[in-house]
Amino acid sequence: MSQEANPAPRSLAEALRARDDASLAALLRSRPDLITPVPTDLTQLATRAGTRASVLRALERLDRFALQTAEALAVAPDPASGTALLGLMAGDAGDETVAAALPRALATLREQALVWGDDERLRLVRTARELLAPSPQHPSPTGLGPAVHEATSGMSPGRIQEIVTTAGLASTHDSVSAVTALTALFTHRRKMAELLSGAPEGALEVLSRLVWGPPYGQVTPEPAAHLRWLLDRGLLLPTAPGTVVLPREVALHLRAGRAHREPEPLPPAVEPAANHRPQGVDATAAGQAYTALATVEELLKDWDEGGPAVLRAGGLSVRDLKRTAVALDVPEPVAAFWVELAYAAGLLASDGEADERYAATPFYDEWLERPPAERWALLAGAWLAATRAPGLVGGRDAKDRTLSALGPGLDRSAAPEVRHRVLTLLSGLPAGAAPAPEAVLTRLHWERPLRGAAGTPRPGKDTPAEDLRTRLARWTLTEAELLGVTGRGALSTHGRALLGTPGAVGPGGPGERAERGDLTAAAALTDSAGVASGGSAGGPAGAGEPGGPGDKLPVHHHHASAPATAPSTTVPAATASPAPLTPAEQAVATATAARLLAPLLPEPLDHVLLQADLTAVAPGPLERPLAEMLGVLADVESKGGATVYRFTPGSVRRALDAGRTAADLHDFLARHSRTPIPQPLAYLIDDVARKHGHLRIGAASAYVRCDDDALLNEILADKRATALRLRRLAPTVLAAQSDPAALLEGLRAMGFAPAAESAEGDVLITRVHAHRTPPRTAPEPVPDGPPPPDGTLLSAAIRAIRAGDLAATAPRKPAGTDPAAGELPRTSSAETLATVQAAVLTGESLWIGYVNAEGAASQRVIAPIRVEGGFVTAYDHTADEVRTYPLHRITGVAELAEE
Amino acid sequence: MPRVNGPLIVQSDKTLLLEVDHERADDCRRAIAPFAELERAPEHIHTYRVTPLGLWNARAAGHDAEQVVDALVEHSRYPVPHALLVDIAETMDRYGRLTLSKHPAHGLVLTTTDRPVLEEVLKSKRITPLVGARIDPDTVVVHPSERGQIKQTLLKLGWPAEDLAGYVDGEAHSIDLHEDGWTLRPYQKQAVENFWHGGSGVVVLPCGAGKTLVGAASMAEAKSTTLILVTNTVSARQWKHELVKRTSLTEDEIGEYSGTRKEIRPVTIATYQVLTTKRKGVYPHLELFDSRDWGLIVYDEVHLLPAPVFKFTADLQARRRLGLTATLVREDGRESDVFSLIGPKRFDAPWKEIEAQGYIAPADCVEVRVNLTESERLAYATAETEEKYRFCATTDTKRKVTEAIVRRFAGQQILVIGQYIDQLDELGEHLNAPVIKGETSNAQREKLFDAFREGEINVLVVSKVANFSIDLPEATVAVQVSGTFGSRQEEAQRLGRVLRPKADGHQAHFYSVVARDTIDQDFAAHRQRFLAEQGYAYRIMDADEILTESEGRSETEG
Repeated sequence: MSQEANPAPRSLAEALRARDDASLAALLRSRPDLITPVPTDLTQLATRAGTRASVLRALERLDRFALQTAEALAVAPDPASGTALLGLMAGDAGDETVAAALPRALATLREQALVWGDDERLRLVRTARELLAPSPQHPSPTGLGPAVHEATSGMSPGRIQEIVTTAGLASTHDSVSAVTALTALFTHRRKMAELLSGAPEGALEVLSRLVWGPPYGQVTPEPAAHLRWLLDRGLLLPTAPGTVVLPREVALHLRAGRAHREPEPLPPAVEPAANHRPQGVDATAAGQAYTALATVEELLKDWDEGGPAVLRAGGLSVRDLKRTAVALDVPEPVAAFWVELAYAAGLLASDGEADERYAATPFYDEWLERPPAERWALLAGAWLAATRAPGLVGGRDAKDRTLSALGPGLDRSAAPEVRHRVLTLLSGLPAGAAPAPEAVLTRLHWERPLRGAAGTPRPGKDTPAEDLRTRLARWTLTEAELLGVTGRGALSTHGRALLGTPGAVGPGGPGERAERGDLTAAAALTDSAGVASGGSAGGPAGAGEPGGPGDKLPVHHHHASAPATAPSTTVPAATASPAPLTPAEQAVATATAARLLAPLLPEPLDHVLLQADLTAVAPGPLERPLAEMLGVLADVESKGGATVYRFTPGSVRRALDAGRTAADLHDFLARHSRTPIPQPLAYLIDDVARKHGHLRIGAASAYVRCDDDALLNEILADKRATALRLRRLAPTVLAAQSDPAALLEGLRAMGFAPAAESAEGDVLITRVHAHRTPPRTAPEPVPDGPPPPDGTLLSAAIRAIRAGDLAATAPRKPAGTDPAAGELPRTSSAETLATVQAAVLTGESLWIGYVNAEGAASQRVIAPIRVEGGFVTAYDHTADEVRTYPLHRITGVAELAEE
Repeated sequence: MPRVNGPLIVQSDKTLLLEVDHERADDCRRAIAPFAELERAPEHIHTYRVTPLGLWNARAAGHDAEQVVDALVEHSRYPVPHALLVDIAETMDRYGRLTLSKHPAHGLVLTTTDRPVLEEVLKSKRITPLVGARIDPDTVVVHPSERGQIKQTLLKLGWPAEDLAGYVDGEAHSIDLHEDGWTLRPYQKQAVENFWHGGSGVVVLPCGAGKTLVGAASMAEAKSTTLILVTNTVSARQWKHELVKRTSLTEDEIGEYSGTRKEIRPVTIATYQVLTTKRKGVYPHLELFDSRDWGLIVYDEVHLLPAPVFKFTADLQARRRLGLTATLVREDGRESDVFSLIGPKRFDAPWKEIEAQGYIAPADCVEVRVNLTESERLAYATAETEEKYRFCATTDTKRKVTEAIVRRFAGQQILVIGQYIDQLDELGEHLNAPVIKGETSNAQREKLFDAFREGEINVLVVSKVANFSIDLPEATVAVQVSGTFGSRQEEAQRLGRVLRPKADGHQAHFYSVVARDTIDQDFAAHRQRFLAEQGYAYRIMDADEILTESEGRSETEG
């Protein structure tokens, strides 16, 4: 691609053709959508790289400065020279930082095939230009309006000449040259300053109000003198009746050439907001890690005997979540996090029964057996990789359905990447340093300004207060704290290990991974910000090399190889793992984290302190069997670093019910208590044991009673009675497992003459019992259809029908098949497309038939603005706003009849 | 390894567990006492609770959030959850954002150091009627009559105001302590000092620890006319007796304002009952509060303060207020009203600590479980729900056990305390002891108390009228046969009867006779919880043990 060897490329395809394999690989790595399916040749690749969807995706991955550069290119002449671009970015005054950062941004854009051409003829891919250039539908982020030649395109030649002469220029023969002359004037700084110096009072103020956008303003039909002055000189140009626009060239003059009010060449630094002792951070994180384990365990224990039911649509009901939150003693969003975490880690799932419930998985039992550090590592690993975003729980989806925990619609593919990115940012700080959360969010926003829910600059969709990426990052910070990955806001040592050690993930790894390219760019920026914040950003390589305009290739090359070589020696932490690790690497990393965490976790204790107020205090975590037994024998009263148990008659009874004897309990307590068993506790156990099992309860379906013991003996001895399953409860009572009727039958068959007994003990006289309902009233007659309408109603109805009919048969120009009056127009899809495309060109309005997603048909009058990707974007006169309609839902179109 | 082996464990429910036997336990106790309320003090691990009121108490005493956080972090065995520390700092920060003070021109004003807070509270409908004009963005006039009301409301809104508006001096009256042959104990001195320094507030001391003296010493400090509010007439006499004995006050200077007498003197002792008597919808004795320019108001047994007294107190915010109590626990949960209207806790000493210093007698608490006879059990099962407690609390078997206990301690001063008059009468008959109940005249009561004090009578049967403030220094054994259901503070009061230091250092005995497997047992468990938490462990005995023992003894004696 160097100029000596090849002529300047004339298209993107040619530019791509000139790139070497490494640089093409970099492109495909960063835009993987280009090779699904693999294009047949470079022309096809270039075409695909120019499609709207693909360009959008690529733009979303740009960092703030690269995006600003692209935006500046979109308002620059096409092609633009490097100098012009620098002028737009740095302004007339120049800005060293911007100038230093610009080559890198351009390199990124080139690598992404968003920009091609050499430094003198920089071309932004046309689709990108359309997406980023200002238009009335979506104002440019630059706040610039259309250029003079665009704004004057509909203007009468006479008016243009008037403007030119008023502006002090010689009149020309045609409009084109007039516009060129005007543009030349506006872009000439000195002449422009002269022109503006003559502005009447208030005029400059008007301009300054529009200068940073939006560039559109309202004027009355009879503008004031100072506005008149501006309009007459083309400093404001009319766009529609009552609306004027500040032409781009004028705005740029007033902005001293800058396309952006604040170019942001450097990533906002993530500075430590607080510095804690690293040991303190680790201890806090370890404490929280232990709490995390305890909480997950408690959650699943709580669900041990029949967890909550699965909603029909999937997920946990709001009530169950509330109940769980109360049981865990945490706020609901936190409860949702724990539930989702256990789910993501495979510890809980739906049991899949007909009456579907959530329950612990067999893996949970396996998990329980592991050492605490490993258990934690498993949770942390699952959390890092999960695409589920528990923070969404309680919110609403696009169809306004509540998102429930464990339910559908919680997956966000960006989640793992954001988590990783946030932790990587934290790892860039010295140990023990905690950044302000806002700084992290700002930084993330800088890296991907367009990413998230509000990514597509589509009109008509209002943007939520915070985009998804920011919310994900915010959740990551809180979740990391909950999980004990961070402590007091700083990344712990074991949290750092989760990201993988720099040595383990070397230059070999990145190749296969998706999303590598732009992330390495981000990582490279991290370096420069981290090492030399300000001064020589990008290092000598970034700033120096692009100085020679001819030598382009090395920039790509250098850029692609940068993370592999230079930075790995300078700042290993930041380059260590810019993208989520592969499963194998992650396994190694989590194992390391577990190893680091293990010594920080408290050792389980084998004793408790018993007290006379019937409490037991475990001054730390207990060994599992001890904790389980104590959990049965006593009620937990308070949790935290220690656990306080209270013995109550109820809890002691529970232990006895579980098959323990009083002696067992005494022995158990004696073994595990550091102090003698207090007398009241010993007494309590004996007292409850004394009464326990005093009354016995069982189920029987029927009984036999008889005052004669001998007769009952006889029945019991009889072999034929086995089927009745009789058992002697008392000398004169037998209990049976068969129902009374069968018992009667059986005994009769054996030759006895038993009589049935009522609940009150009377002999039951058998008599046919007629079955009756409770009192009921006779049914009301149900007439067929509504009652006949009366005269007034009828005439009103007819009037309404006639009025509607009149409206529907209003004259319309027939298109294709003539639609019957009042019916939806019906045309073939080819015809529809052709008509709509024609309407885009002519700017006419159409009458369409439309079937919405619910299948309801409607008619609307629309003015199509553009057709792309199977969608028509149009101004909907019916709804009075710009909307987008899928073409396949349009049943037909018709042009509106002329008035 | 970063783990600190401290004596304190911070729980997620904001309780603090203190390991008593730890070598640094004392340091830790001192560090956390200002802000954490001792909730339970059994033998090994004491439980403290951190509440907003406790934190504000600490703020009122001049401690800041930094100190509290330091104390926790310094002594904690495990890392303290960050969220908890943040929460503590935020809660403490809420106190003192609003201040009540005297403005030279506008009188009582509410000022803030944080404007949004003032904006927030002024938006509250409950605050609007209490305030006047806004003087400047940070200051608003408060109607002087609403000083108590606004403090109460602000506390409910979570923004407790610091009251710096000061106090009126009141009518001066010379009062001095007569320390002849006795002196104030160190903790009493400390309590008086803390109270006087803080202006108004509550002193928490165990029964028998000499709260009356704290009151007397505070009066000697104030040297002004004083109104003392007590629970009942006997208690009023006690106060009078004590004041005459311990201070320069004479009989004539002390008035009694009760159902029978209506004297208003420089020092006036009034009963709650007479104050809360309502006639035709008004409280006729309210004039008492305005009848003199009181310089100090003493509330005895603050935890029993009836609700209307809170209302009157709200209007007395310009006078110094001293609350005396054995416990801040109120069965009705109005602790926050005590905080806002009487004042923050100014002094507090756990029972066991004072016992360890030898100022109150150690006690042996025993719960005796009585088996009901078969016929009693049947009758109990069929009794109406509201009659059940009465039935099981007054069972005959209890009488026998009580007699056995009285026999066992024959020669010592014994109190038998109960709830039901029939039961008490019967007991009195069997024990051959006088019975004091509601209908006993005050003269008769005092006569009997004196006789008991002198040792002329060994056994006294009392109903709940004697629950409060009677001073029976020589009682060494108390037998409780029935009580006001599950009242924890009644239990504490009754135990207090035997906790006064004994001349011979005798151990005190407290017996609670309880019917097994009945509602009586459940109530007993509830009543005992407070004391068990204070470190008084109950032994549990079967009635049979006592009965056989006493039979054995009577045989050998006989």
